[in-house]
Amino acid sequence: MRSQCGRVAIIDYGMGNLFSVKQACLHIGVQAEITADKDDIPCAAAIILPGVGAFGQAMHNLDELGFIQPILDYIRGGRPFMGICLGMQLLFTESEEFGTYPGLGVISGKVCRFPAVDLKTQAAVKVPQVGWNQIRRQPLGRGDCWNGSALERVTDGEYMYFVHSFFCRPDDAGVVLSVSEYGGIDYCSSLKSGNVFASQFHPEKSAEIGLEIYRTFFEGANLRS
Amino acid sequence: MPKHIRVIARMDIKGPNLVKGIHLEGLRVLGKPEQFARHYYETGADELIYVDVVASLYNRNSLADIIIRTAKDIFIPLTVGGGIRTLKDIRDVLRAGADKVALNTAAVKNPDIIKEAAVKFGSSTIVISIEAIKHPDGGYFVYTDNGREYTGKPVMDWAKTVCALGAGEILLVSVDREGTGLGYDIELTRQVSEAVSIPVIACGGAGNPAHVAQVITQGQADAVSLASVLHYDYLKQRPAQDLNPEHFSAEGNIEYLQSGRSNSRIQGAGVGRVKEYLLSRGIACRYYNKPEVVNA
Amino acid sequence: MVENKNLLKKYNLPEKVQFCARCTISNQRPRITLDEEGVCSACRYAEYKYTRVDWAKREEELRQLLKRYKRSDGGYEVIVPVSGGKDSAFVAHDLKVKYGMNVLTVTWSPHLYTDIGFKNFQNLIQVGGLDNILGTPNGIIHRKLTKLAFDILGDPFQPFIYGQTNFPLQMAVKYNVPLIMYGENGEVEYGGDMKNAFKPCRDYRTDHAKHYFSGLAPEDLTAYGVNRADLLPYLAPPVRELENNHTEIHFYGYYKKWVPQENYYYAVEHTGFTANPIRSEGTYSKYASLDDKIDGYHYYLAYIKFGLGRATSDSAHEIRDRHLTRAEGVNLVAKYDGEFPARNFKIFLEYCGITEDYFWQVIDSWRSPHLWKKVGQEWKLRHTVAGTGAED
Repeated sequence: MRSQCGRVAIIDYGMGNLFSVKQACLHIGVQAEITADKDDIPCAAAIILPGVGAFGQAMHNLDELGFIQPILDYIRGGRPFMGICLGMQLLFTESEEFGTYPGLGVISGKVCRFPAVDLKTQAAVKVPQVGWNQIRRQPLGRGDCWNGSALERVTDGEYMYFVHSFFCRPDDAGVVLSVSEYGGIDYCSSLKSGNVFASQFHPEKSAEIGLEIYRTFFEGANLRS
Repeated sequence: MPKHIRVIARMDIKGPNLVKGIHLEGLRVLGKPEQFARHYYETGADELIYVDVVASLYNRNSLADIIIRTAKDIFIPLTVGGGIRTLKDIRDVLRAGADKVALNTAAVKNPDIIKEAAVKFGSSTIVISIEAIKHPDGGYFVYTDNGREYTGKPVMDWAKTVCALGAGEILLVSVDREGTGLGYDIELTRQVSEAVSIPVIACGGAGNPAHVAQVITQGQADAVSLASVLHYDYLKQRPAQDLNPEHFSAEGNIEYLQSGRSNSRIQGAGVGRVKEYLLSRGIACRYYNKPEVVNA
Repeated sequence: MVENKNLLKKYNLPEKVQFCARCTISNQRPRITLDEEGVCSACRYAEYKYTRVDWAKREEELRQLLKRYKRSDGGYEVIVPVSGGKDSAFVAHDLKVKYGMNVLTVTWSPHLYTDIGFKNFQNLIQVGGLDNILGTPNGIIHRKLTKLAFDILGDPFQPFIYGQTNFPLQMAVKYNVPLIMYGENGEVEYGGDMKNAFKPCRDYRTDHAKHYFSGLAPEDLTAYGVNRADLLPYLAPPVRELENNHTEIHFYGYYKKWVPQENYYYAVEHTGFTANPIRSEGTYSKYASLDDKIDGYHYYLAYIKFGLGRATSDSAHEIRDRHLTRAEGVNLVAKYDGEFPARNFKIFLEYCGITEDYFWQVIDSWRSPHLWKKVGQEWKLRHTVAGTGAED
């Protein structure tokens, strides 16, 4: 049996800081390991795909390390998966970051760049968005869509920490858990599709309420009681 | 919707201690950085910045232990600067638990490191610290080594350059105002903020919450860094046994801690007080749902 | 050709260079001593100052002293020689505000004020709220004396030191103020003759020339063709006048623990002091000795004569104050000591009326063979505190 089995696998594909994700897991009592080995995927208790940086480079790295098929198999098997920041964007069909790049295609939709000018106020927009922003419960008459999701214990309008230049535009509004506003755009800041939870913000950098998201996610995955 | 302003606690480090100077000079020991960091985390700071303020002076960087101890149980972004010279240094600091690095001397000496680091670690990981000093003719110029060394570069040119090279943020330090409590350099902040498309963190000079509001509304700052205002506030309220100089290594000026004096130029305020003030002025920022007990 | 000087004899220097085990100073500082453990007298004094002195008791001594000089006729009660720097600003303001003394500050003008020095000096008066008398000597004579001092003493700063030392004595007599309060006793704090270490004051009758004037008192300058009448502002009043005035020279550093960095904070908060935005050449610090455009040459010559530059003196006393570790100090010395003060070089040459070539001839005449070795075209110290000298 591989040493990783039964643990949470944090995928290391050379994109950004994984240590704070691991630290957050450890802090709430979840065994997590950072791995660059695709063979650790099938037997992992849950997968976290973090990431900071360029979309194209990220897909290239995932491909090179042989991660793409195991990740797709894992998600299709209905097992718990969490995407953070770039790890959320990679789930989409394609990104317009420096040309058009195909993504994992788990979620139908596109990844777009923030505009340089605020669509509502015409003021200059600083890109990337760096900082804290509110997440609003998606109001599309779906009742309490946060129930049963990783956001279950989060209050509507809570602040989360974001760092990104691109945002996700899913084709199916039904996957959207929360929206946030930047550059005059209300964009999807977290989503749920089956056992996939993904957030544009960094729960591991969003103080105690962010840790609460980790706790809820892992409780849902029966990895923490 | 207005932008959300970040309130960042900056902690200058020398050896094992939190220190504070005026114009980055005359470094007084104020305490243990982890203890201050914990307090700021618990009271709602949006980010933390650690700067080894003597790293370039001594060609060292000695923050790894402090980062590891801090990152263990503090879950807000941590930026680390001071003495980071190579891509390997950046990786080491990120591995220790930092989320971003602040480069100053290394970037001035070799601007290409900005590009290389941005490609390797992501733009948002690379903060460029600019130490600005106003010359008698009114122009702002870039310095390094805590304002010790003149580079000859005008601040606006350098800010645009680092932006073009892929920096994610600018930490804009007014050495003239730093530690004085006289208020941020509004003009400097506004000029830079308007010149670049990346966020600008105003740093240096805050003496009270009104100064903070001013640099946001008039200076166009995207984030504010505070040190003295927060530190001197915390010093007033923390338990007396923590002030025992025995707890500090022999390194650094502990006269101030022993004297129990205050700093008359600084009107101390906690993170909560600063944010309450900003909100009262219509400035959006993350408010903490467990507000700290505000002392009268 | 400028004649080479014999440093060993002139300053009674030990031939074998030895560095203090605790700080960055060496036994080449005139009058300093290293004990059997290799620790210098200044470090020993610092140890004593930090561990053995009952500072509450010393403050009480200060109060008793000041009480003796309180007067009811509205006259000045104490003269504080000030430069506008952080240290003298602290002494003057503290005496006025905390101890309620009627303070007269007396300033002996630098050769050439720096902008920041003049601003700090003005702020001491305007922001700090202190009376001041500024003494400025005849510029033609002062330049002549500066060149002379550069030539024969290897210290262009000596004319300033004459006035700094003697002008307050003149004012004491003139205004009938017996008490003069200086800041620290340099001989004691920075290493030198320790006989005054445990006394609050010094005697103007003895050691005056030795400690302050490199063995050459201003009145001796007549031997170099200077007119006695032109020397008036530089001279101490006759001893009898000083005695009639019951003059006493005290050091604040005896009464209150002398920590220059805390003086910096005090001066910033209370007297409008600002540090230089940039560091001084030859050292790392931005807040010490900022007033005079030519003081860099004073420090540079100390580096040439004794191998001890500005970063050495700064780091040595910060190590003694425990603000720096020795390793940090050694690093700073290696990085900055002996850096040539290029910023005001032209100004200095013009001030003294000398050529650059002549300047270097004089400089080289002060290089003692026991300290310096010519390696190729370059002069190198034989020994440095970092162990990087030509013979380390």
